Amino acid sequence: METRQGNVAVEMTVNGEPMVGIAEPRTLLSDFLRHGLGMTGTHVGCEQGVCGACTVLIDGQPARSCLTFAVQAEGCRVDTVEGMAEGGALSDVQEAFRAEHGLQCGFCTPGFLAATEALLAENPDPTDDEIRDYLSGNICRCTGYQGIIAAVRRAAQTRKAASA
Amino acid sequence: MTIEDTRPRSARYVGRSVQRVEDPRLLSGQGRYVDDITLPGMLHAAFVRSPHARARILNIDASDALALDGVVAVYTAADLAWLNPMVATGPMRDGILAHSRTPLATDVVRHVGDPVAVVLARSPYLAEDGRDLVDVEYEPLEPVLDPLAALEPDSPLVDEALGTNNISHLEESAGDVERAFAEADHVTRLRFHSGRSTAAPIECRGVVAKYEDRAGGRYTIWASTQMPHLLRMFVAPVLGVPEGRVTISSPDVGGAFGLKCTVFPEDVVIPAVAKLSGRPVKWIEDRWENLAAGVHSKDMICTMEIAAKADGTMTAFRGHFVTDSGAFSSIPFTPLVDSQCAGIYLTSCYDVRDVAYSVDNPLTNKCQIGAVRGVGWVPGQLAREVAIDQLARELGKDPVELRLQNMIGPDVYTTAFGQTYDGGSYAEALEKARDAVDYASFRERQAKAREEGRYIGVGFSPFVEPTGWATASAAAGGLPNGYYDTASVTVEPDGSVTVTTGLHSHGQGHETTLAQVTADELGVPMESVRVVFGDTDSSVFGMGTYASRSAVLGFGSIRESAGQVRDRLLRLAAILLEADPGDVELVDGVAGVKGVPGKTVPLQQIALFGYFGGTARPEDVQRDALTATSGYSPGETYANGCAAAVVEVDVETGLVEVEQLVAVEDCGVQLNPTIVKGQVAGAIANGIGVALLEDLVYEDNGEFVSGSLLHYLYPSTTEVPELDLLTIETPSAVSVGGVKGVGEAGTISAPAAIVNAIADALSPFGVVIDRTPVTPEYLRRKLRDAERTREAS
Repeated sequence: METRQGNVAVEMTVNGEPMVGIAEPRTLLSDFLRHGLGMTGTHVGCEQGVCGACTVLIDGQPARSCLTFAVQAEGCRVDTVEGMAEGGALSDVQEAFRAEHGLQCGFCTPGFLAATEALLAENPDPTDDEIRDYLSGNICRCTGYQGIIAAVRRAAQTRKAASA
Repeated sequence: MTIEDTRPRSARYVGRSVQRVEDPRLLSGQGRYVDDITLPGMLHAAFVRSPHARARILNIDASDALALDGVVAVYTAADLAWLNPMVATGPMRDGILAHSRTPLATDVVRHVGDPVAVVLARSPYLAEDGRDLVDVEYEPLEPVLDPLAALEPDSPLVDEALGTNNISHLEESAGDVERAFAEADHVTRLRFHSGRSTAAPIECRGVVAKYEDRAGGRYTIWASTQMPHLLRMFVAPVLGVPEGRVTISSPDVGGAFGLKCTVFPEDVVIPAVAKLSGRPVKWIEDRWENLAAGVHSKDMICTMEIAAKADGTMTAFRGHFVTDSGAFSSIPFTPLVDSQCAGIYLTSCYDVRDVAYSVDNPLTNKCQIGAVRGVGWVPGQLAREVAIDQLARELGKDPVELRLQNMIGPDVYTTAFGQTYDGGSYAEALEKARDAVDYASFRERQAKAREEGRYIGVGFSPFVEPTGWATASAAAGGLPNGYYDTASVTVEPDGSVTVTTGLHSHGQGHETTLAQVTADELGVPMESVRVVFGDTDSSVFGMGTYASRSAVLGFGSIRESAGQVRDRLLRLAAILLEADPGDVELVDGVAGVKGVPGKTVPLQQIALFGYFGGTARPEDVQRDALTATSGYSPGETYANGCAAAVVEVDVETGLVEVEQLVAVEDCGVQLNPTIVKGQVAGAIANGIGVALLEDLVYEDNGEFVSGSLLHYLYPSTTEVPELDLLTIETPSAVSVGGVKGVGEAGTISAPAAIVNAIADALSPFGVVIDRTPVTPEYLRRKLRDAERTREAS
């Protein structure tokens, strides 16, 4: 549906809930989520596709929401940080980041959480090198990555133990 | 050395790696950063910025922009003539020219990114559309780009009003440096160019402001800042209102690293245009703006000389530090935060009594130089530690032994320039780092690798980090101001605890560490403590968080205020328990009588009695209830430690791989060891960036070419190895609780360790490393030059 100004209604399933919002064709998915739907958990760090802070899952795949138009996600399943904790309880990945001091200012964190979910879905038992390789597209300026790598390792172990 | 430890033994949160209080909020997307703030009727701002390094503004035509549907207003300097100028002097200091600027450029632009006009529109997209339609006519002028040429009398001036480019020349010496150099058996000289880097936090800057025409006019400003009260202090006079008419709120901040303890033009322009437009206005900086027009750091041409005896005793240091200061003197810290910090702490952990430094701060047509993690200590450390390795090579000495031979002892020590260290593990830290890289067998490993055509090297960088920035430490660092902080502690009627502080947390975890301190002092569970900061309306006045000051200042100010409240609680409990106050103890929120089991009263009951117990309460409680506010300005505190790096250099590609990085940290008593490790690791990663990657580049015409994170490279997971983080705990001889700061250590130490390791790896080639970042391109050039020299001889 197009409005008189050329805006369009965009529908997608965000964290399992059907959502609809009005967007310009040029509206970035990051801006659509943050300002169109009011879901400010996804952060924007560079708008150049480099820092990874805006990473969300589109149909399970990690994507830079700052390099994706909202209209490209029409009809897709989008998962953001707001959908991770269930009933107020942190997810295993979130708990692992807390336990290993995998965050400081918290700004890059939603992107790392999304990338970690994608990694563990693809590779439930990654080596340290595989973790480093997979997360090399997400930048953290606070932690020096030590806590982040340890958190991913811990989350993998927790998940493995839970499914055993 | 012994420190009297009067901490209550009951709860003992301090020193434990308790999990962070702020994490559940930040992990679940509930953080509230400046771009998450939305106000009714809010407009969005975009800045028109100079594409030239230096140019005259001939005309600004905003008619096309204003014709665009959704663009509400375009303002230029002429519309903001009612603002007072922004002035950088370094508050209350001599030695640097006061530099004044208007928030938007008036007739001349002075660097790429200098703001010229601001466009307000209904959405950020429309604001940017409007920005692109503002037509500014420029007459380009010859830019001043070379800091040394800028010091020449015939150089064009960045700001004609100053009559010079050099806004500060300082010299200081102690002992007899001339004689020491004249009598030296050996003198080593090094010229080193520390590269231009910046903080580049993942969250860029941002300002949201509204103006209400009530009570004579009030501004409410949300800003991504490290220092809400100081920002208010600097912004209010430019807006022409008393501080009482400005509220600054700094919500969650997505990293800062010193960049956000600067007062920027946008901090003034956004509230000003909120007033002009009558609408709330939001501006969120984009990454190009952050890199081009925030602050830059550490760009310094260093000349370092060491006088030594034949046995390796270093007798004198002499340094000259020229900071490529950019177009404006940054507010409030000025470029002296780099140049002077490089010079005045030059002796670091070495017992050298004859020392001299001089600094120059030429303005150039580049982004301003400001405070960024490690400030001028980083170039100063690079110059000194790289020169010491050079000295060791020239004398045929072992670089570790030579350092140990010249190092100060572990006790309180006053440097030649008068800084008084509060005790530290200077030699022990170096020894620990040496052992962690297995130095004893390294040379053998290195020789074997060379036989295989592989080049590995090891480098060391012991350091002293001035921390706990307060009146005494600032004076010792050449900045004779008052710096202190206050905390206010209230036990609420239900026994829960509220602490307010003017310190600010942007990743450091103060909601956790300051709660740990408070809980210990009061004898209450940590979960009952809430730490409030980041808003000038709700927090006591404070100086903000930078210069590794908050652990020291927070601990001291809270211990004093909480101690006062605790004393009242004990006397109240004594009345309720019909006991002597000296016999009452408060543990985990329950007061009891020592040696009398079962005779207890919970804190909730004590607090309620404290508020509503009428005349049965002590007089001071009747007057002050359960709130106490106290300030703290500690003596000088200095953390210390040592970084050691093992690197492998691929001589074919010039690529450096950091194989091992050891960081030994001694920040005194640790409030929370996990948080300390996190601070050290983050700073070390930053140091790897400074050493190998991060470079803000201007072309010969002054064009800025590092405006994206594709060009300004950060260390990622693949550049930062698993770090060896080791600690030593030497309690401070002067601070409350023996605490020292920790925020910048790794950034100070790691670059010199890495550069020394690279030079060590390449010693067979005779390559002299004389700059950062040590990029592959730079190393290949050095290796090619060395090869040519060898072939020629």
